[in-house]
Amino acid sequence: MANTVIGSSIVIDGEISGDEDLVIQGTVKGKISLRESLFVEGSGVVEADIETQNVEIAGRVTGNIQATDKVELKADCRVVGDVKAPRILIADGASFKGNVDMDTKER
Amino acid sequence: MAKDLVASGNTVIGPSILINGKLTGDEDLTVRGRVEGELTLTRTLIVEPSGVVKANVAVKNAVVSGVVVGNIQATESVELTHEGRMVGDIRAPRVIIVDGASFRGRVDMGELPPGRSLPERSTPRTQLRPTVRSLPAPPPRPAAASATPTRPGNVTAVTAVRKPGGMPGIVRGETARTPPAPPAPPVMAAGAKKKVVLKKKK
Repeated sequence: MANTVIGSSIVIDGEISGDEDLVIQGTVKGKISLRESLFVEGSGVVEADIETQNVEIAGRVTGNIQATDKVELKADCRVVGDVKAPRILIADGASFKGNVDMDTKER
Repeated sequence: MAKDLVASGNTVIGPSILINGKLTGDEDLTVRGRVEGELTLTRTLIVEPSGVVKANVAVKNAVVSGVVVGNIQATESVELTHEGRMVGDIRAPRVIIVDGASFRGRVDMGELPPGRSLPERSTPRTQLRPTVRSLPAPPPRPAAASATPTRPGNVTAVTAVRKPGGMPGIVRGETARTPPAPPAPPVMAAGAKKKVVLKKKK
């Protein structure tokens, strides 16, 4: 029950922060910072800088992504921006443009 | 587990989530966390007991069990449940405030055609009054807000509110008000004033 879902017709323009999982089916512009996992579903559109522990993207993301654990770009996702995380997975069929940085420990 | 909620199709803002900015949408929204800024929906907003909304809200329906600070404009109804706390103005054709709810602000139910609306509105309004009465420390405003459609006088409304029947209450309020006012000046005249001054010096 501790899950947050942004439904497909919802548009948020601003900042989202929190300590729980967030599922995005709608549109979020601005900034997202979480201490848990972010799921951008197929219908989800994110135009924001993202700071989380885990990210799973099946929808569209424009913005820089920084994760403390893992970033997963699933098939059919479209991501534009830099990705920085110790573990980065890019599935077959994913579309991605940007830098990848897995070297987080050195910084 | 996320999938279950997804199936329900509603948007939920979880208890630890803070959204700061503008939120719009065409579906029901349940707030268990915090939303600050502006909130516009074409459907129902539900603020659960853990939810805090500090925003100007425009929705179709609003059910407030948590905290709302800001104005709510609803095209259909606004309901403050027994756990609901709100500071701000409400503008909606139907406003429901139940016993236990806490509210400070104005209520505007808009203009309604006199013939049709009176019987409909008289029932909920009699339920409304006890609610406002039961508030622990009601500033004049809530009473005024719920009473504005009927009576203009705030003070009268507050005292009148004590009794379920409107008529005796009003009489009380007026009698309580009138006696202190006229006797006061004659008593205070002449000797009384000097005594007061002396007491202050001591």
